[in-house]
Amino acid sequence: MRFVTRRFFFYLVAFFAAATFNFILPRMMPGDPITAMFSSQGTPLPLESLEALKETFGFIDGPLHLQYFAYIKSVFTWDLGYSVQYYPQSVNDVLNRSILWTLFLVGVSSLISFSIGSIAGIYAAWNRGGVFDTLFSPLSLVMQSMPAVIISLLFLFTFGVALDWLPTGYAYNIDLDPGFTYAYLSSVFEHSLMPIITLVIVQVGGYLITIRNNMINLLGEDYIVMARAKGLSELRVMLNYGARNAILPSVTTFAMTIGVVLGGSLITEYVFNYPGLGNTLYQAIVNRDYPVIQGQLLMMTLAMLSMNFLADMAYVFLDPRLRNA
Amino acid sequence: MISISAVTKLASRNKKASVGLSILLVYVMIALFANLITDHKPSKRVARPHQEPSMEHVMGTTRMGRDVYTQFVHGTRTSLAVGFSAGFIIMALGTILGISAGYFGGKVDEVINFFTNIALVIPQLPLLLVLAAFIGQSSPTTIALIIGFTSWAWGARVTRAQTMALCKKEYIQSAELMGESKLRIIMIELMPNLASIIGANFIGSILYTVITQATIEFLGLGDPLSVSWGTMLYNAQTTSAMHVGAWWELAVPATAIAILGMALALMNFAIDEISNPKLRTFSGLRIFNKRIAILEYEKSLALQEARA
Repeated sequence: MRFVTRRFFFYLVAFFAAATFNFILPRMMPGDPITAMFSSQGTPLPLESLEALKETFGFIDGPLHLQYFAYIKSVFTWDLGYSVQYYPQSVNDVLNRSILWTLFLVGVSSLISFSIGSIAGIYAAWNRGGVFDTLFSPLSLVMQSMPAVIISLLFLFTFGVALDWLPTGYAYNIDLDPGFTYAYLSSVFEHSLMPIITLVIVQVGGYLITIRNNMINLLGEDYIVMARAKGLSELRVMLNYGARNAILPSVTTFAMTIGVVLGGSLITEYVFNYPGLGNTLYQAIVNRDYPVIQGQLLMMTLAMLSMNFLADMAYVFLDPRLRNA
Repeated sequence: MISISAVTKLASRNKKASVGLSILLVYVMIALFANLITDHKPSKRVARPHQEPSMEHVMGTTRMGRDVYTQFVHGTRTSLAVGFSAGFIIMALGTILGISAGYFGGKVDEVINFFTNIALVIPQLPLLLVLAAFIGQSSPTTIALIIGFTSWAWGARVTRAQTMALCKKEYIQSAELMGESKLRIIMIELMPNLASIIGANFIGSILYTVITQATIEFLGLGDPLSVSWGTMLYNAQTTSAMHVGAWWELAVPATAIAILGMALALMNFAIDEISNPKLRTFSGLRIFNKRIAILEYEKSLALQEARA
C-alpha cells in the first residue's frame, strides 16, 4: 500500500510541476500572448472576454504569485476558459469532442502492439538465433525507428490515393448518423484502419525488443533450469517461468510509450484528417488558439500520468514483492 | 571521448554496425560536400513545376520548379546538423546528470532523480509543438535547442542506473579506498564502462531529433524558408504533391529519413549486442568456433612439425 500512495503523491507533484511549466511557458515568450492574439487576428471573440481569458490563464494585473494562484485554481477546477477559434465553445467542449477518437486510436493500437510485440518477442527469445529471431528482431528495430509521419504518408499515398481502397479523412462517413448500426460501425472501422495500423507499426517493434532482451537475460537463470529439470513442459517454462518475469519491464514500457503514442497519434490524425486530440491541437496551433493548446497539454500530461499510475498498479499485481513494500 | 579506433573496432566486429556506420558516413559526406555536389542554391527555380525525375533533374522538381536533388542534398546538411547538435546536447546532459546522480547519491541524486522523473512523464512531442508554436517559425537552430534541452531525461535515467550498478563493483570501491579523486574515478574508472550506454544514448538521440524535427516542420511550425527534410515534406504536403501524382517530392525526404533511421537503429542494435553478449545470436558464435577450430588445427600442424 505504501508503494501505491507514494507513487500517487509523486504523480500529483508531477502534475503540479507540469501545470507550473504551462504557466511559465507563455510568460517566457515576448509579450502577452492573449493580447497579441486579440490584436493580430480577426477573432470572433468579443472584447469583454479578453479580461476573462486573461484571468483564466492568470494574466491578471497583480504580482506574479497572485497570477499563479489564480491559474492553479482554474487548473484544478478544470475551468480552462474559452476556445478562440470556436467561441463561444469552452476548451472543455472542444476537447471532449475529440478525446474519444484519440482514446480509441491509442487504446486499440496499444493493445494490439502490446499483444503482438510481447508474443513475438517471447517466441524470438525462446528460439534465439532462429529464422524468426534473425529476421524479425532487427526488422522490428528498424520499424521502431520509422517516424509515424513517414508511415502514415506512405499508407495515405498507397491505399488512400493511389489504390483508393480506404477513406482518407474523418472518423466516419458523415452522411451516416452515429449509432449502433452496422453501416456506422463498419464506416468507423474503415476510417480507423490506416491510423491504427500506422500506430501499431510505430509501437510494436519496441515491445518485441524489450521483451526479447529481458527474456534472453532471464533464460540463463537457475530457476529456469530448475523448472526444466522438474520436467515441466516447454510451453509452461516459456510462459509461466520466463515470460511472466520478462513482461515486468514491458509494463513500464507500456506506460512510457503512451507519451510516444500520443505524439504519434497527433501526427497520424493530422495526416489522415482524423478528428482526435492531435488534429485539434494542430488546428489550435495554426489558429493561435492558446487556451486550447494549453488545455490540451494539461490533458495529455494527465493522461500520461494516469497511465503511469495504472502501470504501477499492474506492477504491484504482477510482482508480489511490491505488495508489502 | 569515444575514439575513432573504438568505432572502427565496433564496425569490424559486427556486421550490423558496419552497415549502419557506412550509411551514416555517406550521409555525412553528402552533408559536408553539399556545395560541391550541387550546382546552385536549393531555393533557385530551375525548371517547370512538378517535372518527373529525368536525366536533368534526377529526383524531379517541386511545385515551385526547384530541383528536388539539390534540396535533398542541402536538406541533409540541415537535418544532420540539427540531429548531431541536439544529440550531443542530450548526450552531454544525460551523462552529466546521470553520473552525478548515480555516483554522488544522497541529496544530489534525490534532486536530479526527481526532475528526471517529472521530465519523463510530460508528453514530449505535444510539449515541443507548443514550444515551437509559441516561439513561432522556429529556425533549425531553435529546434535543435528546444529538442536538446527537453529530451535528456531518458538518457539520464539509464546512465544513473548503470552508474549505480558500477559503483557497487570492487574496482570502484578500491579506487575510492586508494584515495583517488572523484574526478579521476568518474573520468578514468566509470566513463569507459559507460561508453556503450553513452554511445547508444547519442545515436538514439540523433534519430529522435531528426524524426522530431521533421515532424515539427512537417506540421508547418518550422521556418518555411530553411531547407531540410522536414520543410521538404511540408512543402510537398501544402502543394498537395500527393494528390497531383508528384510522388517524388514526398518520396525523397521520406526515404532519406527512413534510411537514416534504419542505419542508426542497426548501430544501436549492434551496441546492445556488443555490450551484452547474451543478446548475440549464434552467427557470431559460429565465427568464434571457427576461429578456435583453425587455431586447434594450426596447433596440431605445429606439433606434427615439431615431432618430425
